[in-house]
This record gives sequence, structure tokens and C-alpha cells, in this order.
Amino acid sequence: MPHVIGIDLGTTNSAMAYVGLPADVTEAPSASMFAVPQLVNASEVAEETLLPSFLYVPGEKDFPEGATALPWNEHPDYVIGRLAQKRGNENTGRLVSSAKSWLSHSGVDRLSPILPWKAPEGVKKLSPVEASSQYLAHLREAWNNKMPNVPFVDQEILVTVPASFDAVARDLTQKAAEQAGYKNITLLEEPQAAFYAWIERHPDWRERVKLGDLILVVDIGGGTTDFTLIAVLERNGELVLERVAVGEHILLGGDNIDLALARTVGEKLAAKGTRIDGLQLQALWANCRTAKEKLLDPESKAKEVPVTILGKGTGLVGGTIKASLTRADLDQVLEGFFPAVASNDMPARARRVALQEIGLPYAADAAITRHLARFLSQQAAAVEHDTVRRGPSGLASPTHVLFNGGVLNATFVRERLLSVLNTWLNAEGFQAIQSLSGEDLMHAVARGAAYYGTARHGKGVRIRGGIPRTYYIGIETAMPAVPGMMAPLKALTVASFGMEEGTDLRIPDREFGLIVGEPAEFRFFCSAVRKNDTPGQMIEDFGEDLEELAPMEVQLTGSGGIVPVSFETVVTETGVLQLWCVAHDGRRWKLEFNVRERVAA
Amino acid sequence: MSPELISDLGLAPKPVKPAKPEKPAAPPPPAFKPSDGALQILGIMQRDSRIIDFLMEDISSYEDDQVGAAVRAMQTAARDALVRYVSLAPVIDGVEGTFTKPPSNDPSVVKYLGNVPAAGATGGTLRHRGWRAVSVSLPPLNPKQDMAVIAPAEIEVE
Repeated sequence: MPHVIGIDLGTTNSAMAYVGLPADVTEAPSASMFAVPQLVNASEVAEETLLPSFLYVPGEKDFPEGATALPWNEHPDYVIGRLAQKRGNENTGRLVSSAKSWLSHSGVDRLSPILPWKAPEGVKKLSPVEASSQYLAHLREAWNNKMPNVPFVDQEILVTVPASFDAVARDLTQKAAEQAGYKNITLLEEPQAAFYAWIERHPDWRERVKLGDLILVVDIGGGTTDFTLIAVLERNGELVLERVAVGEHILLGGDNIDLALARTVGEKLAAKGTRIDGLQLQALWANCRTAKEKLLDPESKAKEVPVTILGKGTGLVGGTIKASLTRADLDQVLEGFFPAVASNDMPARARRVALQEIGLPYAADAAITRHLARFLSQQAAAVEHDTVRRGPSGLASPTHVLFNGGVLNATFVRERLLSVLNTWLNAEGFQAIQSLSGEDLMHAVARGAAYYGTARHGKGVRIRGGIPRTYYIGIETAMPAVPGMMAPLKALTVASFGMEEGTDLRIPDREFGLIVGEPAEFRFFCSAVRKNDTPGQMIEDFGEDLEELAPMEVQLTGSGGIVPVSFETVVTETGVLQLWCVAHDGRRWKLEFNVRERVAA
Repeated sequence: MSPELISDLGLAPKPVKPAKPEKPAAPPPPAFKPSDGALQILGIMQRDSRIIDFLMEDISSYEDDQVGAAVRAMQTAARDALVRYVSLAPVIDGVEGTFTKPPSNDPSVVKYLGNVPAAGATGGTLRHRGWRAVSVSLPPLNPKQDMAVIAPAEIEVE
């Protein structure tokens, strides 16, 4: 009896859920969370439903001998999970964190060993793909250890990715899964998975939403924020769901909020003459997270919560630094992240500094509500889709909102977002938005992914979506060279927004002569905004609409001059975009992402 | 008899067959001392809540609010660590201050206070509910680890 396994490979936490697939059941059975055995302390393996996405590269003297043994591996090369996170805070040079954000960062070579980013010399490094692969391998071995009669590779696996992941990041996620020994995998977008989790909990969902409704999914996790719009449509007399817009990848999340709180408290301490060091800031960061949750508890009337940093040495009481997080501090920080802005208030663009420290491209503007305004007014509104309800200003105006991610466990944050959305809808002349009742926001993505797996077997509803961007290949204009000027670049549309999984198409009327035996490279672009370009269409003057991705390259094997080829686009069943060069005689070559080349910014 | 004398008397000892070299026996299962479990729980409580630091510190010179701030942080952590490994329940699940009949006559389960009749009591006012460890789930001991080290020394490299 096969199982469907849903894996939420998160920036800060990963989770795995599964559903058994009985052959004769027509309704989708419910998903169970898989408790992941992991090292939680030296010499202690325990099961937790979340596997923190942290990897620690242990040195010889880091742990007593045998203290990192797992039930399935006496001497693992790396420590993964809770212990990695704990030990990594004490020794950051050996800690890999946010591997997923690095996976989607086009400014670095994602296949070369670069993590831990600030590792001292001599520490073994991993590539972002390898690190992600280690988390996935841990989950596979944990499964095989606990369920020896149900081999992992024989099950159907769904791995979730942010909706905002581009084709390169998806390709690399797939590579990571393959490296981890996965077979039969399908990629699924996280906000969709969150919505499936809601459907799973509400078998009567057809009575809760109606034709023409527009559902906004807001997913704020530890490190990233993601927006998606899902429309409720009708096909053959049945309600169906279609994902109609996807936001940009925003590196902004709950960790930013906690760090901002820790800095606020740190500044208050500094004003009183108490300086804290890096390790104490780490402790303060963790304490501020707990204090924030206490203050945000709707039952709580406390005006402040102590965030004590215990003394470092054996003098516990003597060295204790007293501080407190007040409601005013929290309100001020949350105001920075969730300001009540107008729907035309756009986020500040990243500053372009000539010399920048290479690192993760964190969002320049911390105001999540401004990013949401940009999503609804620019990205979502650009959809030429009669299913998207729009106000007089063109603002995409959702009827329902579904929250996901740990940050939105806080009632205050949910209410602030609802109030901001309602102000916008009111200005457009619409009624207040309805909130779809909250689920277990930490595990919903994994549960929903497992549910989706059963949906593909006809046992539940499926959201139609297709690829969330339009993709282009750069073509240099043939024109006489002008000194000091680059030849203008045109972009050939090769795949349109919404191209469905399991389909392919040939780009008409365009042929290229490729030299056999030498690598040919193509510049590759995408856009989340231009949704109406059709395959074969040539775009000039695209300005800032297009975003350049890692180049694609192909090397034709064989001999004999130049082969005329045309492009073919395939979106696989698993949701991965592929481009092929096809010759007249039917020979085909796949274009591969060349992530080793640094993308010229 | 000394070897010389044996030799002089012509009484050579029977040559003893050299014992066959035995296969190296599998290492014996690690022997743990009864105190190791106690040291382990001290180590866990110190690691997660720093309670040994607190108990060993001379706190007489600190202001109450300084002590209070440290204890509040420590007590939460100590309780979390304790309940993680030891599941606790009251011996008598009753309301303290109310009349209670004892569930057992075992003196290790119920202790009588006050004017206890010579023949023993059959009930009284519940003063303390008692604690019972319903289950203990400590991680297996690592034979390579020196259990006597409750907390390792810490050296920070600047």
C-alpha cells in the first residue's frame, strides 16, 4: 500500500507528513505528522515534529566520541536538527543556516562549497544544494528507520518550494532531492500546500467559498514571506481552484522581528551602560522570541516581560543582566513590520551600492504590508484574468485570506493584516475580507502537500496553476557595432505564465544555428509581472520588468558544422521547467542551468 | 620446592601446554555505576537551567530583585528540563487542606503528622500531595563520556 509523503523543506524548520493510500477509499484520508528522530543534545536522540533546518559541521573536539550517533548512522559527517541549532549558536563558524535562501540566491555559485558562509579556514564546506540534500537525506533515513516495511523510495514524495522560487531554484531543489536518494518526487508550491491543508480540514469547503471568490494566501515563516492568489472558478459544473498570481521572493520573516526586538532591548541596555557581546545577543534573541509570544498572547495583560540574560560564568546571579521587553517596544517594532499603509504605498527598493558585502539579499524594506500592497497593486493586478476581482484603482481585491507560517500564530499580527486589507478593500468599495479559520500554522504545508498527493489520485481537489512566471531567452540584436554601446538585447518568450504541468510546446518561427562540439550559452530571464506574453513573442525595451537568471547552456555532441535548432519548452509533471534544442532530424539536447557563472547584475 | 631442587632431584615438572590464545572476547557491555544516573540528571539540569551554578553560588550579597530576575529565568528552564525527562504526578491527587483517606499503608507512600493514634490513622487532612515519578526517560549513557563532569568548562576564542 503506497504512502504519499509531503515534505516542507523550510528555511528554518522542516516537517514531514504522510497519508496512507487505501485503494478503495474515495474520500481523501487525513494526513499524519511524522515525528523526526534527531539529535536534540549530545548523546540524546529524540523525536520532534519539526526538524530545524540547521546543519553543524562538527570538529574533532566538538562532541564526546559517539555523542552524535543516530539510530541509522554511528558516525554521521554532520549534525542536523535541534542539536545543530543549539551548538551552532555557540560556534557560528561551523553552522549552516538558511540553506534554502542561499539556494535561491543567484548572486553566488550554488553548486560550489560556500557554506557555512563565514567558516574559518579548514572547516569542510558544503554547497547550498548539498546542505539541502543533507536535510532531505536525514528525513529519508529517519523514515526508513521508523518504517522499515515501507521503504521511502517506493513512496510518492512531494517536496514544497516557495511559490516565488524561480526555475533555477526549483531545478536545484530537485537536484538536492535526487542527491538525497529520492525517486518519484513532485514539487509543489508552499502557499498552495497551505491551502490544501485548509481543504483537508474542511471537507465542506465548497460551501465556504463560492464561484468568483479570490483567496489571498499570506505565508510569513521564519525567514521568508510569500504571497499567492487563488481564484475559485467553475469547470464542467464543478468548483475548481486556480492559482492566478505569485509574489516575489522576500527574505523577511519572524526571525527579523525577533532580532529587531533583541536590538531594541540591547540598545536600552547600552543606554544604561551595559554592553552585551555576540553570544549574549543570541541569548537575548531567543528570550525576546519567548517574551514576544507572551506579550502577544490575547490573555496577557502584562505591560512588560523580563528578558533576563543569565551570567556567563559560574556566577549565575551576580552576572545576570536584567532587561525587559515592554509592550511599547513590541508595538514599535511590529509597527515597523506591519505599518498601516495605503494600498499605493510601495516598498523602498534596494539601494544600489557599488561595493556590497556578498551575502543573502535581504529585503531592503522591512514593512511586510508595503510588500503586500505591491503584490496586490502591481504583480497580481497585471494578470489579464477575468477571474481576478479588481477595484476602481486596479487593485486586486481578495474576498478571503488564509494565513500560514509561525508569525501569523499571533492574533495581533493577523488582526493588523486584516485591518490593513479591509482599509484597502473599503477604499475600493468592497466588503470586508473573510479570514479562513487558521490551522496548525507550523505543520500545514507538510500536511497539505501529503493531501495534494492524494488529490492527484483523484481523491481530492487539485489547484490548477502552472508555472508562476513568464520565461525568456535573451537574443542579441543583429546590428552594426557601435563603439561603447552594447548590442541591444531582445527577449524571446519561451514559456508563458500558467503553462501547465505535463505540457510542452515548440517555439514557432525561430531557428538558431548552433555550432556542434562547443558550449553555447543563452541569457535567461523571467518576469512575475508580464503575464500576457505568448511563446515566440519577441520583447524589446523590457526595462526593469525582466529579471535575469542563471544563464542556460547546451553543448551539442557530434561533428559537422552548424546545426539549425528550434526551442521546445517542457513543464514536467513534477513542475520543473525544461528547455530543449530540437534539430530537424529529431535529435534533442537539453539546456542546463549554468549556476557556476556569476550573473552579471 | 625451588626449581633448582626439583631439577636436582630429577623431578622435572610436566611441561605445561601453552594455553591456546583465546579469541579477543567482545568488549563487555559498558559497566555503569549506580551514581552515573544521578550524575546524568545533574548534568541535564545544569545544561538546560544552570541550577548547579545557582545552588553553588553565594547569593547573600545580591539584592532581592537581582536574585529574583535570575531565578525567574532559571526556574522556567529547570521545570522544562525536569518534565522533559521525568513525568511527575501527585501521590494523592486531592486538594490540600481537605479530609483524605490514605491509598496505602506503606510508610514510604503516606507519612502521618500531628497526633497520630497508637494504632495508626485511617485518614486526616491532606497537607502535601506528594510527588511520584510516573516515568523516567533519560537518554542512554554514553560510555565514552566522563559522567563526573557535570558541566564542561567553557573557553571562548575571541
